[in-house]
Amino acid sequence: MPVLKNIAAIAKGMSITFREMLAPTVVENYPDGPGPLKGAKVQERYRGVHVLQRDENGLEKCVACFLCAAACPSNCIYIEAAENTAEHRVSGAERYAKVYNIDYNRCIFCGYCVEACPTDAITHGHGFEVAAFSASNLVYRKEQMLAPMPAHMGANAVFNQEEVEAGAPAMVAPGE
Amino acid sequence: MADVNITVDGKKVTAPAGTLLIEACKSVGIEVPSFCYYPNLSLQGACRMCLVKIEKMPKLQTACTTVITEGMSVTTDSPEIHQARKGMVELLLGNHPLDCPVCDAGGECELQDMTFAYGAAESKYMEAKEHRDEQQWSPVVYFDRPRCILCYRCVRVCGEGMDVWALGVQNRGVSSIIAPNKEDHLECEECGMCIDICPVGALTSGAYRYKTRPWEMKHVGTTCTHCADGCKTTLGVRRSDTGMEIVRGDNRDKSGINGDFLCIKGRYAFDFANHEDRLTQPLIRKDGRLTAASWEEAFQLIGTEFGRICEREGGRAIGVVGSTRTTNEENYLLQKFARVVLGTNNIDHHRTADFPAFAAALSGKPEMTASMRDVYNAPAILLIGNDPTEQHPLLAWQIRNNVRLHRARLYVVNSQSIKLRRQAATFLQIPTGTEAAFAAFLAGDDSALNVTSRDQWLALRERLRSEQNLVVIFGSELRGENIGSLLKFASSIPGAKVVCLADYANSRGAADMGLYPDLLPGYYRIADKSKFHDEWHGIPQTPGLTIPEMIESGASGRLKALYVVGANPIGRLGIDPFAFSQAFVVLQDMFLTETAVMADVVLPAANAYEKSGTFTNTCGDLQILKKAGEVATTKSDFEMIVRIADAMGFDVRKLVPFGRGTPADMGQSRGAQSGEADRHGVWLEAHGLEPKMNPFDPMAILDETQRLVPGYDVSRMNLLAGNDQHTTLSKSGPGALHNPELIVPANNNLFSSGTLGRYSRTLNSVIENSNQQPAEVAAD
Ligand code: SF4
Ligand code: SF4
Ligand code: SF4
Ligand code: SF4
Ligand code: SF4
Ligand code: FES
Repeated sequence: MPVLKNIAAIAKGMSITFREMLAPTVVENYPDGPGPLKGAKVQERYRGVHVLQRDENGLEKCVACFLCAAACPSNCIYIEAAENTAEHRVSGAERYAKVYNIDYNRCIFCGYCVEACPTDAITHGHGFEVAAFSASNLVYRKEQMLAPMPAHMGANAVFNQEEVEAGAPAMVAPGE
Repeated sequence: MADVNITVDGKKVTAPAGTLLIEACKSVGIEVPSFCYYPNLSLQGACRMCLVKIEKMPKLQTACTTVITEGMSVTTDSPEIHQARKGMVELLLGNHPLDCPVCDAGGECELQDMTFAYGAAESKYMEAKEHRDEQQWSPVVYFDRPRCILCYRCVRVCGEGMDVWALGVQNRGVSSIIAPNKEDHLECEECGMCIDICPVGALTSGAYRYKTRPWEMKHVGTTCTHCADGCKTTLGVRRSDTGMEIVRGDNRDKSGINGDFLCIKGRYAFDFANHEDRLTQPLIRKDGRLTAASWEEAFQLIGTEFGRICEREGGRAIGVVGSTRTTNEENYLLQKFARVVLGTNNIDHHRTADFPAFAAALSGKPEMTASMRDVYNAPAILLIGNDPTEQHPLLAWQIRNNVRLHRARLYVVNSQSIKLRRQAATFLQIPTGTEAAFAAFLAGDDSALNVTSRDQWLALRERLRSEQNLVVIFGSELRGENIGSLLKFASSIPGAKVVCLADYANSRGAADMGLYPDLLPGYYRIADKSKFHDEWHGIPQTPGLTIPEMIESGASGRLKALYVVGANPIGRLGIDPFAFSQAFVVLQDMFLTETAVMADVVLPAANAYEKSGTFTNTCGDLQILKKAGEVATTKSDFEMIVRIADAMGFDVRKLVPFGRGTPADMGQSRGAQSGEADRHGVWLEAHGLEPKMNPFDPMAILDETQRLVPGYDVSRMNLLAGNDQHTTLSKSGPGALHNPELIVPANNNLFSSGTLGRYSRTLNSVIENSNQQPAEVAAD
């Protein structure tokens, strides 16, 4: 009964087709999806573009100790330190990073800098769109990596007012 | 002293009797941790980190205060000792903030090392640590009290080493705190010795504060560019927008003549290099204004002008002024340029000591110059004139510590009651201006005897005559034939040696390299036939003009051009700036100084921290300079001189011996110069050196100076290795007796350094601070 055999085979094949057709999608709808990540989904521990964190008072956590730069195997962190004054307070400690650059031409996202940081100032965010037309644009400045002000301090650079009113999360790392 | 045998960790150690146990251990490579112990300072026994086990002694002993005795058997590490040291660290950390990430000592902190080695970073205390705000004690000294571990090194170095005694201890026991001499601030020499010696980050420097971290810098060992003592300094450099920026000066390499020492200028006054007024491009005067131009344009203009004047009026119409802060190689090159390229002997520099008379007095005598190390080791020292504490900080340090540690006898003869009198066995105050009479008196001329203090004069001479290996040091008060009288006295004392004090970093080098209108390098007279006449094929025979004569000649219009390299004759010598209004003036400098007012072309120069070469200090110790900082758009004076010679159409090979000579010239056969051997090539061959391939390589000129200048043929290996090499004057030319008026002392003090010092922020802030102008200090 070759016909029956054939029908059975087709039915078996089509059952896989129909099962997969109705299963939830595995491929993400990047870059056409919703939200700041444009539909991309990353694991929580994904090591993306760095985020320089702030403390609960909105002050930068980085105290320019240069330990991340010392730990970095690709030597891509450049820091210039300066002293905080009463009028111009940037970090919580005596000094802060006046310049903090990471050269993403060279960064290998190894996470050693995060490991080395004594104040948990540098962390890996989830940003992964680091392509650029010019290599010099891949040298990120501090301002590009700095976490936004905490929402209770009234400034949140990532979300505009409308989004906040529409119920955007109160505190997120950029890129999420 | 007799030797004593001990056993340390099973190793046999032999050391002279009286050696401290900690030093004996060190001599065989066993390190005993220590905080309060510091070689050559008095013993403190405060920190108890150096605890070791000595057989037959019931408790652990401090290695830093124990003198070794025969048969002693010592264990330097065991669980018991480890536990004891860990306990000490724990106590030290009891109140210590451990804020290493923001502490300037982080990365080179002895407490960090010990905590790392022994643990104990986790405190057992429940109480909150006591916090105290950091205090600024002076523009350069900051104090963070909780970080202090009370080792008292700072107190001892300031008192015993510096004889300043500005730091002290308040309270007793656990409440002890280090305190400055003026309630909340310091009034002191601002040498930074206390900061350097502090094992932790309690004392930190205002100049380096928060700039970078130790591992981020490259460390370059070079020679200080300020006074004439020639301290070896280590400069920490970091890349910057313009090249390399110097961010720190210290002497972590203690192998130099200065050992532990640096004064404020060597430690902090490198910051002139980044002054906002620093010139970065050539300037040419157009329509009365200095306007930016390209290097090519500038060299072309200078070459054409100099060439035209030489052709029309001869080299006599050009004057050259050299520098006391450029390297020996540049000075040698400059005078060779003047004599060989321009064809003039019109070359001079700002003279601050009478070296030609010194050379004249020494000629024909056995080797009699003392090195800076001799000053530290001599059994007796006679100091006539000068105030080393202000003008020669290192020399003063050497003298003080020689007296303190070796019990040297110091005799001070001065018209002022200078600070070094405190170390003097005899201090003789003489009326101002009678130093010369005193020198004559020493030489046996009793007519010079001062009537009022007759007995003291006679007594001092008697004492001096009974000395041996005396080091005689004299300031610029003695000039001309008075130096001869002093040398006559000195040579009557067995083993006596002499130091002639000049004021700037390479004053001695400028003199040795022949920046004189009548003297060639090595103090040969123009008029006498010397090897330079053969080597350079024709030197103008008539002596040239001194600086005052150049002024006169410029004012009367005879001098058509002036070439000033790294000097500020208008600012420093008080010359009329309009004397050269008709002349073509070229200036190589870092800043628009007073002299730039009259310049037609100004070329931006690199300073001594930004090039390689050699300096000779006032004692005659030759030392290497290594390039540390860099401002990319400037050039070294060396390169500029060569480029100007080239722009004049001169064959640069005749100026700088670079490239290979013809092989036929190696001495055997007849060569290019009709029957002459290529002496340079032969010398290089004999010394195992290669010809240099680059016309801008100062080493090519170093080859020539080592070959031709008497006394400079020192070990090249040692020189390059950064060791000081004493040059002798005994084989130099006959020298000369000049008009004593030509010597103009710089009169720098601890916080000033000629024109250069004016551009140092640190020096200025210290000066403002001591002038008590709080408003301006606050703006710092
Ligand atoms: S992730 Fe690794 S390579 Fe990238 S900056 Fe940090 S330490 Fe350097
Ligand atoms: S003194 Fe040493 S241990 Fe203390 S905070 Fe500074 S670096 Fe850390
Ligand atoms: S800077 Fe020098 S003189 Fe001043 S307190 Fe420190 S050691 Fe003493
Ligand atoms: S300030 Fe530094 S050198 Fe002075 S006692 Fe404290 S730890 Fe020692
Ligand atoms: S003593 Fe003289 S050479 Fe030494 S650091 Fe001070 S200025 Fe420089
Ligand atoms: S080093 Fe011995 S007690 Fe401090």
